[in-house]
Amino acid sequence: MVSTLSLDAINTLAAMILLADFMLVASSRMRSLTRIFALQSLAMGGLAAVVAFETGAEHIYVIAVLSVALKAVVIPRFIDYITEKIQVNREVEPLIKIPGSLLICAAITILAYFVTEPIMELGTAITSNCLAISFATVLIGMFLMVSRKKAITQVIGLLVVENGVFLAAISTTYSMPMVVELGVFFDIFVGVVIMGIFAFRINRTFETVDSTVLRRLKD
Amino acid sequence: MLTSLVQTLLILALSPLFTGLIRKLKAYFQGRQGASVLQPYWDLAKLFHKDSVVSQDASWIMTATPYVCMTAVIAASFMVPFITTSSLGFVGDLIVVVYLFGMMRFFMALAGLDAGSSFGGMGSSREMTVSAIVEPTILLSVFTMALISGTTDLSGMSQSLATTGFDLVRPALFLALAAFFISTLAENARVPVDNPSTHLELTMIHEAMVLEHSGKHLALMEWSSMTKLLLYLVIMANIFLPWGIDTDLTVLGLATGTVAIILKLLVFSLAIALVESSMAKMRLFRLPNLLTVSFSLSLLAVISYYIL
Repeated sequence: MVSTLSLDAINTLAAMILLADFMLVASSRMRSLTRIFALQSLAMGGLAAVVAFETGAEHIYVIAVLSVALKAVVIPRFIDYITEKIQVNREVEPLIKIPGSLLICAAITILAYFVTEPIMELGTAITSNCLAISFATVLIGMFLMVSRKKAITQVIGLLVVENGVFLAAISTTYSMPMVVELGVFFDIFVGVVIMGIFAFRINRTFETVDSTVLRRLKD
Repeated sequence: MLTSLVQTLLILALSPLFTGLIRKLKAYFQGRQGASVLQPYWDLAKLFHKDSVVSQDASWIMTATPYVCMTAVIAASFMVPFITTSSLGFVGDLIVVVYLFGMMRFFMALAGLDAGSSFGGMGSSREMTVSAIVEPTILLSVFTMALISGTTDLSGMSQSLATTGFDLVRPALFLALAAFFISTLAENARVPVDNPSTHLELTMIHEAMVLEHSGKHLALMEWSSMTKLLLYLVIMANIFLPWGIDTDLTVLGLATGTVAIILKLLVFSLAIALVESSMAKMRLFRLPNLLTVSFSLSLLAVISYYIL
């Protein structure tokens, strides 16, 4: 039987993840973006640990630790390092203003709830009600990617999408098999490194990381 | 009936004290000695001894507004549980309270326009811009508490949360509390939104609207604003964190209720003073950012109530 304490912990962490989504959308500084992302990953790791504790599946502990180490420590630091290195200015530069973005994200969350509600009713997992939040996280991550100008903010959007997928896997099936998760982590890590280098190169070539400028062809 | 009368009188009598307390705490954080905590009482007493001057172009709205504002806050304080939750809520619920404040704001904005001075109109338009986002935020965040406790009656909400212990605590509660706190700052002309102690034309919202009032009218306006601030703090203390409030009208219960509410109000005053001393006033054009953040917090509170 699931203890109410774990259920409360799961609910609180899930609410924190959703809150972090909105904070990401609301923040206007690059620094706070990475910090909030680290916080969200920390909550994600905590949630995975609680699930591991409740189900007794040991491989989830490993995944939780890896998730915290990689997404809450290594990747945010790396992104901070890149931003510092390429001397990009610290404003986020959204294409859609922040109040508008927040309202769109609120609409996205409600949409995610209505889309996942029939599935959540069928779910038997203790975390099944996190599915709506994971769906919202994926969609808000995508929204971050399309509505922010800088290449680095788009990387963060992609990472948020990955967090959402991770949460979806945990909340429906108590996470994917170990091999798959490890593969995903590796993929994300390499992806971020490559994108970091890309951002660096883009900055060197075009003297900006504003992705709207990249549309113009250059000889 | 008697208890709500006593509570209303208490709220009206104590409201200048808490305004004075916040000013004193702010002065302390800024390294000043500051005026006495009782200074707002002296200010009100002085204003009540003076005559009101009303512009000859002003209509009846100008003279009616102070009384409308005062009546609105008195009526609202009848419905808000202060020390005890019992024998209250005989006339209205949270929606009435929110719209009593709405009526107060409406008349203040009208009076700002009525006198015909340019500052008054500016203040009115700004106040309405701010309240367009703040009002739904307040409704949504209090609705979250209504969902959690299963009633829209303010004292009923307070009672059901206080008596069931911590079982009803959900993430939604804290999201709604955060949203309500930001709205409290915005509604009561506190620092990130408005500066309560300035008369600089470009920055003021609330002060611009009451600029044309004087004497007894000004005293009523000031007193109703102070009472409104205290009412918001009391709602925050007793609806969102009602533990300790008296529910059965015993001597022991009333004693703990009094101590609990005083402690909670002290903490909130400290929080407001801290926010006011550590933050700068926001530019008017950046305000929608903060206000939509608080709006989406309250929306999130409602959503997370349904999801989780």
